[in-house]
Order: sequence, then C-alpha cells, then structure tokens
Amino acid sequence: MDEGLQVGIEALNVYCGLAQIPVEAIFAGRGLNEERLANLMMYERSLNLPFEDPITNAVNAAKPIVDALDPEEKERIEILITSTESGIDYSKSVASYVHDFLGLNRQCRVIEAKQACYAATGAVQMGAAYVASGISPGAKVLVIATDVSLVDERVDYTEPVMGAGAAAVLVSGRPRILTIDLGAFGTHSFETLDSARPDPTFDIADVDVSLFAYLDCLKHAFLAYRDRVEGTDFAATFDFLVMHTPFAGLVKAGHRKMMREFAREGAAEIEQDFKRRVLPSLAYGSKVGNLCSGAVYLALASLIDTVQPDTGYRVGLFSYGSGCSSEFFSGVIDQESTAALAGMQIGRHLAERSALTFDDYEGLLKDNYGCLVPQKERDIEVGRWSTILDRRSDRRSLLALKGVRNYHRQYEWV
Amino acid sequence: MPPSDGSREAVDLVVRETIAVVLPSVPAGAIDGDKHLRDLGADSVDRVEIILMLLDRLRIDEPMSSLSQLPNVDALVTFLHERCH
Repeated sequence: MDEGLQVGIEALNVYCGLAQIPVEAIFAGRGLNEERLANLMMYERSLNLPFEDPITNAVNAAKPIVDALDPEEKERIEILITSTESGIDYSKSVASYVHDFLGLNRQCRVIEAKQACYAATGAVQMGAAYVASGISPGAKVLVIATDVSLVDERVDYTEPVMGAGAAAVLVSGRPRILTIDLGAFGTHSFETLDSARPDPTFDIADVDVSLFAYLDCLKHAFLAYRDRVEGTDFAATFDFLVMHTPFAGLVKAGHRKMMREFAREGAAEIEQDFKRRVLPSLAYGSKVGNLCSGAVYLALASLIDTVQPDTGYRVGLFSYGSGCSSEFFSGVIDQESTAALAGMQIGRHLAERSALTFDDYEGLLKDNYGCLVPQKERDIEVGRWSTILDRRSDRRSLLALKGVRNYHRQYEWV
Repeated sequence: MPPSDGSREAVDLVVRETIAVVLPSVPAGAIDGDKHLRDLGADSVDRVEIILMLLDRLRIDEPMSSLSQLPNVDALVTFLHERCH
C-alpha cells in the first residue's frame, strides 16, 4: 500500500423521495400518545410513491454523482455494491438493474450486500480497502444503500419514524467528502432477532431487544476502535459524531450513555456536548425517518451541510445493523467536503417534498405493500402522480417503475 | 449507591425509586411488579434510561441486551438482585 495514499468518500448524495408526512399527523391519525413525540425527536418521514422501489431510489441517488464524472472517471467505477434489506428477488440483485440505468462499465463487479442497516458501511470499508490495496490504481467503488419501508400501524411507535430512499457513496483515492482514517475501526457483532423482514410485505421488531443491542454495539465497537487506536478519548478525539439513526432520540440516548461511561460528565455538560457534536448530524434524519443502511450517510450529509466546515474536523461514525453487526470508524471532513456536497442540494430537495395528508398516506401504504412482492405481471400508472412530479423545481429526470413483465421490472425516465 | 445490605428488598426499593425518577407521574409506591415498564408509561428512551441508571446505581457490569426480554418489574428486580452478588 502507498503510505501517502488517501482513501475515502469522493462523492455523496441522498435521495429521499418526493413525498413526506409530518410525524405529528401519523400520531394524530393513529391515536398515538403525543407525549412520546419529545423523546423521538422526529418531525417528518419520507414515503415512496407507487412508482418508486429500491432500484429507482438507488438510481435517483447515484445518478447526479455518476453524471458529474467525466467519461474516463466513470469507467473507473470497478465495483458496484447495493446494500439493501429490500431485495426484489432471491437471486437477481438490485445492483444488476442499477448498473444498467447508471450506464456503468461492463467490466464492473456487480453485487448486493445484506446485513440490515449495517451493510453499506461494510461495503464502504471493503471498497476503501480495495482502493487502498493499490491493485488497481485509480479505481472507484460505488456503494448505494437503498431501501423502502413496509411498516404500518402494526408496529406502533416505529411506524412514524421509518423512512425510505437511498444514499450513494463513491469511494476512491480522491476523497473530497470524507477522508477515511485507514485502519482506525472497531467492529462488534452477535446473533439476535431484534428486527427483521421475514416476508416481502412486513417487518417485525422487538423494540427493547433492538435498542439495547444498538447501545451494546455502540460501546463495544468503540472499545474495539480504541484498542486499535491508542489514546482515543470518546469526548476529545472526535470533533463530531455521526451515528446510525433509527430515530434521533436513540442517538441522543446513545451519546448520553457513552459520555456517562467514558467521560463521566454531568447532565448539563452532556447536553451541551450533544448539541455541539451530535445534533448537526440529525437535521436531515429527523425529516426523513430511518433510512436503514443509508441512515449513517444521511447523517454525514446532514453534518456537512449544517456545519459547513471551513477547516478539518475528525468525525467518529457508528453504523449498526439488526441481527446484528456494527462498526465504529472515523475520518476527516474539511472545506472541500462543504463544496463537494453543496451541489447536491439535499436540503432543498427535502424541503420540496410534497406534504401528504393522513388519508393520502394510508392510501399510499396500501399501494406500497406490493413493492417487493414477486409478481409476474404488473402495471403502474406513473401519470397518476404527475401533480407531485410536476411540483419539483429540480426538473432532472428520475427513474420510475412502470410495471413488471414476466418478472422483469420495467422502468422509464420521467 | 448500591443497596446497603444487597437484599432483594433493597434492590426492589432502588428499582422503584429509579422508575419514579424517570417517570415522575408514577409514584414509587404505586408500581405493580407484574407490569412491564412499557405498561407503566415508559417509552423506549425512558426504558433505556431506567436500565442504564439501575446498572450504574447498582454498579452492575452487564450488557444491556441481557435485560431486554425481562417480562415485568419483578423479573427486573430478580435479575439485578442476582447480579449484585
């Protein structure tokens, strides 16, 4: 490995759909206890429209990144990994469609990774190791975390906090978004059934099992990181923290736990530290919902767009996926991160999503249940949603699912 | 502080006091041991906070995952009492 080589995230974008519903509206519609809103710290959730699926979300997130590359650079995308817990077939990958609609090189490796909300980070780290190995100088690896949500009132308070969309992460030897601290990582995994998708129409979750596993993993992945990186101090080493965000309130609880354990700070100091080091990463997630394995990269985008760094800052990142597997790693953001992300206009796109009423939302949930179900034939009338499509100020083409023919998904640009 | 005598009664008192701190609307004396923390009005963040405060106060070093499937407050007291020794 070239000792002077920098490796990390060259480009980052998220696509979080065209529609959202305020979390308060779901609480009111379902008769949930509004006193619980404060601890959730969530305000809106993204919802896919019936012509969106894991493939369209992935393509719509990655297309601006790929389009910004010159043709020679685009040819250097040598590995495409889609990370998803929303697979559309037991054999055929989401990545196979995505590879086609992004027009990637036919010499590209194309695979799909699954480990709930962790898989994208596993893919990013393997991509970074491939780039750092030097076996193919100049290579790039495109990782796309893409998911849809299938929850409804059966999961109580989980329903208002689930999101939908995708995060696209381009890994290379020209890191502009995040320079990864190579070799600085800690992992922690063990078997548990905290949440899962046993069928393409519904999710199951045991909230306490899942939250407690997340918090155990946060501690032990950090301890594993500290074992590798001498002198690491949870309170002092990282200027900012970016964490997998099932809901923002859990990130706050996790930060509080870690500060009590590793910094022995009082409540007021911990609150102040949370606002300074963690809160900037939650602005987007609290308006999107849980983006599954894209959530930690949505949080990274939120941090960069909110702080707009004008100098270098070290960021600690924590990724967790049910089942479970986790990783704590780190990297550096700087003024180039601000410039590189600004063009994606993520905040503007989130602000421009159409607000749904609760009745609209319930209707959409029913349509969306079938999104992952294998069907031999299916038709989707994309034009039914032209009002929402036409409301966008960014008129770039989006990929839309128009139907299924003999199990082959059919798409069009709209 | 850990309970002075380490008895089950002392752990039970610590558990009730801690629940009442996190859930001020639930008086320590009115906590039914047959109930899950959820049934006492604790949301998921409250439950995390109660468990963390208990492990800290009783100085028990145990993964949180070990406590995620206890059915009620009495089972929580029993679990913590056993780990106090």
